[in-house]
Amino acid sequence: MLEVKISRLELSSPIILASGFLGISSSSMKRIINAGAGAVTSKSIGPKPRKGYKNPSIFEILPGTFINSVGLANPGIDEFINELNEMKIHNIPIIVSLFGETIDSYRKVALKAENAGACAVELNISCPHAEVSSIGINPDLTYSLVKKIKKALSIPIFVKLNPNVTSITEIAQAAERGGADAVVAINTLAAMVIDINTKRPILSHGSGGLSGKSIHPIAIKKVYDLYKVLKIPIIGCGGVSSYKDAIEFFLAGATAIQIGTALYQGIELITQINEDLNNYLKRMGYESITELTGVSHNFKLQEVPDF
Amino acid sequence: MIDSSIKTVEIKNIKEECKNIKTFTFNSERFEMKSNLQKPKPGQFVMIWVPGVDEVPMSISGVDDGNWKITVKNVGECTNKLHELEVGDYIGIKGPYGNYFSFPDNTSAKIILVAGGFGTAPLKFLAKEMLKNKYNFTLIQGARNQEDILFLEDLEQFDQNYSEMVFCTDDGSFGYEGFSTQQLEKIITKISIKEMKTTYVYTCGPEKMMYRVFEICEQFDIPLQASLERMMRCGCGLCGLCAIDPLGLLVCKDGPVFDSNQLRAMDDFGKFKRDFTGKKIPID
Repeated sequence: MLEVKISRLELSSPIILASGFLGISSSSMKRIINAGAGAVTSKSIGPKPRKGYKNPSIFEILPGTFINSVGLANPGIDEFINELNEMKIHNIPIIVSLFGETIDSYRKVALKAENAGACAVELNISCPHAEVSSIGINPDLTYSLVKKIKKALSIPIFVKLNPNVTSITEIAQAAERGGADAVVAINTLAAMVIDINTKRPILSHGSGGLSGKSIHPIAIKKVYDLYKVLKIPIIGCGGVSSYKDAIEFFLAGATAIQIGTALYQGIELITQINEDLNNYLKRMGYESITELTGVSHNFKLQEVPDF
Repeated sequence: MIDSSIKTVEIKNIKEECKNIKTFTFNSERFEMKSNLQKPKPGQFVMIWVPGVDEVPMSISGVDDGNWKITVKNVGECTNKLHELEVGDYIGIKGPYGNYFSFPDNTSAKIILVAGGFGTAPLKFLAKEMLKNKYNFTLIQGARNQEDILFLEDLEQFDQNYSEMVFCTDDGSFGYEGFSTQQLEKIITKISIKEMKTTYVYTCGPEKMMYRVFEICEQFDIPLQASLERMMRCGCGLCGLCAIDPLGLLVCKDGPVFDSNQLRAMDDFGKFKRDFTGKKIPID
């Protein structure tokens, strides 16, 4: 019931671990798969080791809503290959999220990831608190990057979209033209928190990205809009903490969903959501979750107000 | 549910424990009431934000009503700045996080606490709770030298009918000369086979020391609880830096206190940790 297919990638569950959460060690990612996720996405991996921003770099600001500014901390692709090798042994479907300093360095990291057994790559062009965000706000750069990577790889390419743009559909269409196999919507929303006692921004970098519960309705709206203009699948990401949030993403137009922030409640949450999704489908008389994709678009909405 | 927001609190009291080690007290009452924040239990930790510098995990060394204490050794940039702060200055807290030491069912159990360096902090908190609950215990504290012995005043006030203190220093300047693990072995070898069945060991300190404690406990089939430390960003199971291979146990959420079964399953215990990039590096 829960099987989904994104491009050539077949997953046993539509729940994918979002990038940036626990995706640094093969052991954690194995745990996520054992809990029932269809695939995991690694933390964004770059060409070389990077310490990122100092702490505080992750904290909660409203119940279930977090702000973070990690600054793409990662061990570098050459080191991360050790983890990928380990995952290959255990047959773990891993999507490698990656970034580079230039289009060519993106390509090099992507090739190494593919050779090490990644089942797909997710291009991070949208981290709101790091340099790479410059690609994700520009349709031409997005197109060129995706096209170049597409030419070099044989595994599917996902593009993670930046919501901090005037038109997310324009960027998404550029990615589609470039050959993206799917888009992931959305990355975190640019945000900031200032402490009133010390009067300073709390994150060491000052600004960061908002994730979790409160961005879910924003992500739903973006997926809804994207579904209207894209032919490629959309992976919904943003504030999933229950099966209801996941179903909503499908109804808006998603083919799969990602989960991250809510895992502060424990990895078992994934098992629970799978179970609840199954129950929902049975209750509603569906045979497959894929039947739900885009269903909310069947309803005619009021376009002009009554006067 | 755990509240992972960062709350700034004024430092209420600072006590110099010994050279380079200070205990900071702050009041968390208003947060406890507002957000159902649980009172910390022995073994739990908080993320301490030193504004403008960094945020690091610190185990809680005591709780007195709404007053929480952390005992901090000046070892780096962040702790150095923390040591410069004065009463009335603000620090940020996030947590309390993690699990905690669990007590044996029977108060007549034989309990040995093995503390190394400022790993004594959470064990002193544990010892205090054990006293309250009428457990008997021996606390072995190992330090480099007399100057580094911690909480001496506090520990001397413990009820001697229930507690025994053993001190040892690397240079023999206070208590026995040698390591706390040697004292542990000495005590265990004197325990009768019958008594061994109800003996429990708790440890916190440098990981190499804890690994030796683990080996000794395994040899005598004594259950152990060890409190581990790793680098962290979040403290609440998201960043993954504190994952321990091969099971992916998280020090922040599944720990920091692990029992013998979990320790046995760890490849990393006493050997590897992750740095801030996420790279696995050896423990020195």
